[in-house]
Amino acid sequence: MPRMTVNGRPVQFAMAPETPLLWALRDAANLTGTKYGCGAGDCGACMVLVDGQALRSCLISIAEAEGRFITTIEGLSRDRSHPVQQALVAEQAIQCGFCTPGIVMSAAALLQRNAAPGEEDIKAAIPNLCRCGVYPRLMKAIQRAGRVIRREETISSAPAPGISASDAAHAVPAMAPPRSDADN
Amino acid sequence: MELTRRGLLIGAAVGGGLFVAWGLGGRHFAPPLTPREGEFAFDAWLKIARDGVVSVAQPQLEMGQGISTLLPQIVAMELGADWRQIAVEPAPVSGAYPNMPLAARWAPLWMPLAPSLADQPGDWLTRRFAETERFTATAEGLSLAAYEGPARAAAASARAMLAMAAADRWNVAWEECEASGGFIRHGKKALSFAALAEDAAGQTPPDPPPLRPEPAAERPVDPAMDAPLAFPRLDLPAKVDGTYQFAGDVRLPDMVYAAIRHGPLPQPELGEADTKDAAGTPGLISVVQGKRWVAAVATNWWAAEQALAKIHPLFANTQPVESGRIEEALDKGVRHGETHRIAEVGDGDAGLDKPTLALRYDVAPATHATLETASATARLRDGKLELWVASQAPERARRAVAGALDMSESDVVLYPMPAGGSFDRRLEHDHAVEAALIARETGRPVQLIWSRWQEMVAGRPRTPVAAVLAAKTDNQGNIATFRARLALPASAREFGYRLFGEETPWDAVAKADGTADPMVVEGAMPPYGIANMAVDHVPVTLPLSTGRMRGNAHGYTAFFVESFIDELARRNKREALSYRVSMLGKDLRLAACLQKVARLAEWDGGNDQSGQGLACHRIDEGCIAVIATASRGEGGVRVERLRAVADIGRIVNLDIARQQIEGGLIFGIGCALGAALTYEGGLPDNARLAGLNLPVLGDCPAIEVDFLESDADPFDPGELGVAVVAPAIANALYSATGLRFRRLPLLSDGL
Repeated sequence: MPRMTVNGRPVQFAMAPETPLLWALRDAANLTGTKYGCGAGDCGACMVLVDGQALRSCLISIAEAEGRFITTIEGLSRDRSHPVQQALVAEQAIQCGFCTPGIVMSAAALLQRNAAPGEEDIKAAIPNLCRCGVYPRLMKAIQRAGRVIRREETISSAPAPGISASDAAHAVPAMAPPRSDADN
Repeated sequence: MELTRRGLLIGAAVGGGLFVAWGLGGRHFAPPLTPREGEFAFDAWLKIARDGVVSVAQPQLEMGQGISTLLPQIVAMELGADWRQIAVEPAPVSGAYPNMPLAARWAPLWMPLAPSLADQPGDWLTRRFAETERFTATAEGLSLAAYEGPARAAAASARAMLAMAAADRWNVAWEECEASGGFIRHGKKALSFAALAEDAAGQTPPDPPPLRPEPAAERPVDPAMDAPLAFPRLDLPAKVDGTYQFAGDVRLPDMVYAAIRHGPLPQPELGEADTKDAAGTPGLISVVQGKRWVAAVATNWWAAEQALAKIHPLFANTQPVESGRIEEALDKGVRHGETHRIAEVGDGDAGLDKPTLALRYDVAPATHATLETASATARLRDGKLELWVASQAPERARRAVAGALDMSESDVVLYPMPAGGSFDRRLEHDHAVEAALIARETGRPVQLIWSRWQEMVAGRPRTPVAAVLAAKTDNQGNIATFRARLALPASAREFGYRLFGEETPWDAVAKADGTADPMVVEGAMPPYGIANMAVDHVPVTLPLSTGRMRGNAHGYTAFFVESFIDELARRNKREALSYRVSMLGKDLRLAACLQKVARLAEWDGGNDQSGQGLACHRIDEGCIAVIATASRGEGGVRVERLRAVADIGRIVNLDIARQQIEGGLIFGIGCALGAALTYEGGLPDNARLAGLNLPVLGDCPAIEVDFLESDADPFDPGELGVAVVAPAIANALYSATGLRFRRLPLLSDGL
């Protein structure tokens, strides 16, 4: 019954210890942002952070992950505010979105250790496969995320989820604040 | 007309009225949209809520191409909404969204005996088919052609109704009111859509609704200008934080997970599956045996997959697919097969008893390699089968499931899910049927996910091809006669028999046997002004069941034509750009693409081993020209740069158009250099993505995409890039190495 910390919470998986972390996350913890694309380490759609390092969760068992700190796409930020998330949306470096969580995790790990990566650093750090072909935008997006981390730039392209109706009405004239029951 | 549950009266009445007003031949449909509390439905396309949210229902599969932004954008602009108040939801499968242009294009597939009765979008039969068959399929880049008009009309109706509601309050003429930013305005007075929605829903809109004078359009600007996005994609925020749900992300109470094994191709029958060895697998719940597959069901997918690995199912199969046999059949076909002339200009055989040049080209079967493998979630409860699946042809999937379970179609509910890439792979729905059958046998909700290996085995590849191109030229290389002879299965017909005829893959192959298929040779007729041209199809029957793939025939015909033209130019010491332009006197749009790309890429003629290669292609009203810079590097081809210029008519959303061209070019690189399958004993030799030589970020060339300004009807940019890349790279490699590569994938003839 391997135990670990997933997105800041202690978790114990009642699964066979050789179960790949990917399937424990998806099918036991319901953290479905981590995707299955190949199960063989070829595509990177299942990339998560293990003690801060980007690893393919299809290639590590929950036994091997015992005692580690796991961060999935759901735990990277509470509100899409991670610079990589903001930059990918700003550059529209996303199409179908299936490979996106894995790319976000690879890029987040890179920028965590090197906030000013060169092109070669980025190419080496992003092994992820994207069949829609967002690559031409990725380089720019990751460099831009680096600038945000270095506080040279700010981006607010992806709004936080769950905006309240009154906040929405405050920001967008066309939106109406919620009416009280008496008005209905 | 059906009325169900609370709150529907207004929506139903408005919907009913409008459906007739739309001129859908007076047909009535159940209103497809269910307004929630505080929401008001305006026909089949939008709902406006008291809080100001405008929800656009869109009927096409979102598979990355951005249609779930494009159609809402069209609604928002016509309505006069603020982009920030727009939401989008997948429309339910309904006859209210008939895809008429696609129904017309595919008339040979759904009405193979008399397609000419329904090959125009306005034909009565086309309309009847598309409406009664709830034909809302997403394919052939026809989404805008099909839905821009209805979406605009719906939004214009709603705008008129909102204006009427405001005019009533102000006691002015509604025609004098304007709509912008989510408000109806008259002079200094303004009322928000939010405030007007309820009153507006009761208005009767004019028929036809008055449209704004201009359709949605964005002018092409240089991407380096970093212009802010007027209409950022609606789907990206959810895609970047993991909350965007695909079919395999659905979680239901009591749900279990299934993995599957299919037998060797083409026509396996499950013999014995020894389930004893799997018995002890932790988490295993049951093993379900189909006629041609075996599935394991467990508390998690990996446990199910582990159980399958222990079962060692035996499949009976006569004549399993072998690559050697495929190549023999194609070779025999291209040399000796019976020829069907598909298209001809002048005399397509003039002088070709002794051609000046005749060259052979070969294409291997190519796989889609969508990152998301086939996935479906199914629940059978109280006599209703619910299905969560991404489908390009949802009604066909629904019908197939109903047939397989011997249920009434009305008892099958399909929830449209987005696709993690498709490239036409999700025109097939075997996995939906399997998930439904497994759910029935298991008695619990089931989520079926194909392993990558199964996607390789049972996903239907694009057909292999053998072709001979021949030309008669004068001694300056001017082409008098051009003829393309393509040997390949009637793959599009085969697909049609599967999709519309509900035939098994092998019966579809048998039915298509020996028939001419114009769709599989599309794009083989050059855009050039040549006096005598012909395109021939030699139908070849293969044991392999083949499917559609992004680019379809253009994915190989552009390679043949543009490689061949390049060879003619080179052999006659003609410069590749001016040689092409000299033949494009009647295709000024394509010529303009060529000239602009040559200028931007500083075209050097590909001389002195510069590694530059040129290609252009036209698909209907879409034009593209590309200059590739490539070289042979360690372990293969290195594509350093792609510069593209496209003319796709009016552009609705510039950045999405650019995404589609960029993505198409990269998909094209995958097809040019990899994505190929070989077969042995009915199974692909390669089980892994790593064996497909698909590009990753480190291989990605510098890509620049420009557009020509145009007011022509919008043309979908999704397939143009795919088609034109392979010949551009092949021609660039000739420049770099002096070697010609006439086989796809390039370099697969052993260098």
